[in-house]
Amino acid sequence: MNPTTFAAILPEVLLLVLGILILVVEPFWKEKDRRNTGWLTFGGLLAILVVSLLAGRPGEPTSVFGGTIRFDWLGFFFKMLFIFAAAMTSLFMMDVEKLGRRGESYLLLLASTLGMNLMASASDLVMLYLAIETTSIPLYVLSGFIVDDEKSTESGFKYLLFGAMTSAVMLYGFSLLFGFTGTTNLYEIAAAVAGAQVSTVTALGVIALVLVGIGFKVSLVPFHFWAPDTYEGAPTPVAGFLSTASKAAGFAVLVRLFFIAFAKNGLAPDWTTGLAALATLTMTLGNLVAMTQTNIKRLLAYSSIAHAGYVMIGVVAFSNLGVTSVVFYLIAYILTNLAAFGIVAVFSRVAGSDKISDYAGLSRRSPWLAMAMLVAFLSLAGMPPFGGFVAKVFVFAAAVKSDLVWLAVVGVINSILGVYYYLTVLKVVYLYRMEGEAEESHPIPLTRPYGIALVVLSLGVLLIGTLFAPWFSASGAAALNLF
Amino acid sequence: MTAIQIIFILSALVILGAAVMVVSTRNLVHAALYLVATLFGVAVLYAILDATFLTVVQVVVYIGAIAILFIFAIMLTRREMRDQGEQLNKGWGAAALIGLLTFGGLFMLLNNWRGVNATAAALPSGFDGVVELGTALVSTDAFVLPFEVASVLLLAALIGAVYVAGTKK
Amino acid sequence: MTFWSDPINFVAQWLRDVFTGWGWNPGLANAITLLLGALVLILFAMLLDIFLVWVERKVVARFQDRLGPNRIGPFGIFQPFADIVKLIIKEDITPAGADKLVYNLAPILSLTSVLLLWAILPLAATIYGTDLNVALLYLVAAGSLGTLSIIMAGWSSNNKYALLGAFRMVAAMVSYEIPMVVALLIPTIITGSMSVKEITLAQGDGGVWFFIAAPLATVIFLISAIAELGRSPFDLNEAESEIVAGFHIEYTGMKFGLFYAGELLHAFTFGGFLAILFFGGYRFFGLENLHPFVGAIIFLVKALIGYWVIMWVKYTVPRIRIDHMLGFNWKFLTPLSLVVLMVTAVLNQVLAGTETWVYALVMFLANVVIGWLTLEALRAYSRSQRKAEEPAVESVAQAAQH
Repeated sequence: MNPTTFAAILPEVLLLVLGILILVVEPFWKEKDRRNTGWLTFGGLLAILVVSLLAGRPGEPTSVFGGTIRFDWLGFFFKMLFIFAAAMTSLFMMDVEKLGRRGESYLLLLASTLGMNLMASASDLVMLYLAIETTSIPLYVLSGFIVDDEKSTESGFKYLLFGAMTSAVMLYGFSLLFGFTGTTNLYEIAAAVAGAQVSTVTALGVIALVLVGIGFKVSLVPFHFWAPDTYEGAPTPVAGFLSTASKAAGFAVLVRLFFIAFAKNGLAPDWTTGLAALATLTMTLGNLVAMTQTNIKRLLAYSSIAHAGYVMIGVVAFSNLGVTSVVFYLIAYILTNLAAFGIVAVFSRVAGSDKISDYAGLSRRSPWLAMAMLVAFLSLAGMPPFGGFVAKVFVFAAAVKSDLVWLAVVGVINSILGVYYYLTVLKVVYLYRMEGEAEESHPIPLTRPYGIALVVLSLGVLLIGTLFAPWFSASGAAALNLF
Repeated sequence: MTAIQIIFILSALVILGAAVMVVSTRNLVHAALYLVATLFGVAVLYAILDATFLTVVQVVVYIGAIAILFIFAIMLTRREMRDQGEQLNKGWGAAALIGLLTFGGLFMLLNNWRGVNATAAALPSGFDGVVELGTALVSTDAFVLPFEVASVLLLAALIGAVYVAGTKK
Repeated sequence: MTFWSDPINFVAQWLRDVFTGWGWNPGLANAITLLLGALVLILFAMLLDIFLVWVERKVVARFQDRLGPNRIGPFGIFQPFADIVKLIIKEDITPAGADKLVYNLAPILSLTSVLLLWAILPLAATIYGTDLNVALLYLVAAGSLGTLSIIMAGWSSNNKYALLGAFRMVAAMVSYEIPMVVALLIPTIITGSMSVKEITLAQGDGGVWFFIAAPLATVIFLISAIAELGRSPFDLNEAESEIVAGFHIEYTGMKFGLFYAGELLHAFTFGGFLAILFFGGYRFFGLENLHPFVGAIIFLVKALIGYWVIMWVKYTVPRIRIDHMLGFNWKFLTPLSLVVLMVTAVLNQVLAGTETWVYALVMFLANVVIGWLTLEALRAYSRSQRKAEEPAVESVAQAAQH
């Protein structure tokens, strides 16, 4: 095994080592010290991030491990994002009751992150499928982690049922693809498709089957039913992780699979048209339904569906700029949505409620938390100077450049719809008062892990929205690997 | 018609018939046993395709482990082995339509593929599928990474299962 | 190929020629010949089974200081035929509320799962059903069909004792399958093949019988085979004092007979696998080269010895509790077997290309070391257990005094 081969899976190996460390160390800690598992996970993930950035950077894109893994910037960039998201999630998890003191939860988080990392770099159908399952199965358990809470159990179970069903359909698509082309390697499949071994109709059929699985992961519209129920019932940090890292991993797979395997032989216009229709549906439905929500987690769930639609615009653009904008959008979205779910976690831990109306008076109860919420929600709404704004601009620009002006217009209209419900929440936070009570007597204390995470995320959102050039060029470098 | 074709048709009939019975019988243990028949039929298909390893693994894993687990789960959780509820819900028409459309779509898909009528090439003499598979699973030029990831997946699933089953409600 | 050197294949070829001579197409002729061959093999196994009934009864009688059957024929050898007649004329009872189809299918499946094993059993170099390249996995697969038959019998009888017996048996079989598979992997590693034929050949010229190279695997295989058979000390499935007769409590007449015959044949077959995997199969210092039938006789004798060991254990060791049985498997046998597997795999790689005697010696010593370490660990553990128990005993004694 030469150094490049090892560097290609360095983050995964380190994640596994960290997971085993937790598995071994945690039982020796006393009950009251178990929360330290969270710090261990956080510290370990940060260390992995640093070590990977120093020693695991890819050079020229290479296929390693017999072509099962592609070692390139696209994969590496996503890997770093996932590890960062997992680190933030581990901070959020620490003070959640029945979740933060269990070593299993962190271990499952790490296993899932490992799966996502492989999803981002897999270039072989076998590897890809195993990576998707390695991501999903720990997340099923994490969603239903609070076993004596019916909502959580329901959430985990729904996620499992939808996940199992869609992954079976996707696997069927994979098996057909293998049958038609005789190989599981994406690049060889691409060659087979380019050599017209597979007719357009068969290819499109396979694409439809595969899209079911990926559509589930990124909660695209006909496959989005699970999202609100799962997000509502799952422990809030887990919901945050689901809506950000898991979704980003889905997009990583989508771009790699579609741009490499199905790009040739005049196939692209066919599926981009289909995806454009799905993107329109996803945005519109997500935003419209989000308006009527009274539960903040359900609202965020529908908003995350809508965001999947925006990201899809970048995919549909089918260009270098398109993929760049997808990657950039996902960076901004991960930071923002993690912050949003983190705030919800902080609030519900103290107030014991996820109702939007209970957020009344938050600005007086905890000005800093309200501030963070302002940043996160304005970024979600796409307001300057936050990350969400720049990300949307790039996505729409990519659409316009690819002669998809109508799609950009749909996106803009949808963004305006989105502003309405994000601002409604902020209205409750800033303008409404708690009825008949002095807000100052109901403070919302921030524990240290929450504080660290929220500060990092809020600054990140601001940073991406103002100093976006380095991030954009990094995204561009990642996107370049697909063309 | 060759012997292989006869065996294929027979096992296909068993698979499909038993599969229909799995979903239509009211007795849950019978459903599990019909499932065993279906899985066994699939094992026969593998045997026809000269995939000895898959055949045996299909029996070991699906009949020896999964079906037994199903039967255990049914027996330990259900007092009444007979399902009394309605077998069809209101959406059955739509479901049937979608099922038919999917079937039609897949049929068209396969019909469009030029390999559908091709005869499988005979395996080269001295070809040992087990050796090939074993080598591929541990060789760094092939599938060693998926193989290892599968163990990570199983570890995570195991820990998850132990947690869910072992936590006091 | 003459009749003398290879009788079975000679007859098969002759039959093929006869059938094609009748104008059948070669594929059909081949299929019919194979079918006839399978039939002959099954007939042989079933006849052997009848003989086994006598062996079992005679041996158990000796262990219990009795004479055993001695009335019908010399040494009572025709006793099984009387048994069969008795079983056939018994009333065939199906309990009320039984699930008829499943109830009747279970005994057949039970015997089938054993007969399936005979397909891969090489009686001699040229007498075997088929040379499967995954034979050892096939052994496990056939065992899982046996598991299924037991749970079918236990459930369909509509009897609580039967169901309890089936649950116990299946729990035991599923757990002991793991050390068994691992023990099977050790001959596989040494040989480099899962084919039973290859394994036998590897123990011949230029090889040693594997019980020398893998004594621990031999013991582990024997223990898990006994558990898989559900024989004492692991016969929780029929524990007479608790659940009367376990999963076959409701079966009468020949249906019971099938279970009984299946169990005996199963035990004998595992004796045969013990012989094949660890004791050279049909080989005995070149004697098998005289004639295939000599090989077959050597094999049968070895299998009988294996069977005798299983009976020996059965009739001398008392039954153990179910939790002890499962604990023994999960906490002791499975880890031990995995350790042995790892050591064997590593040593096999290290010793590749060395002389046979070096290989065998190092393997044997490695097994001795593992065994010694295990015993030491067990001793230390039981010492600590005793220490922990002693104060408790004292306090109980004190409490009794007050």
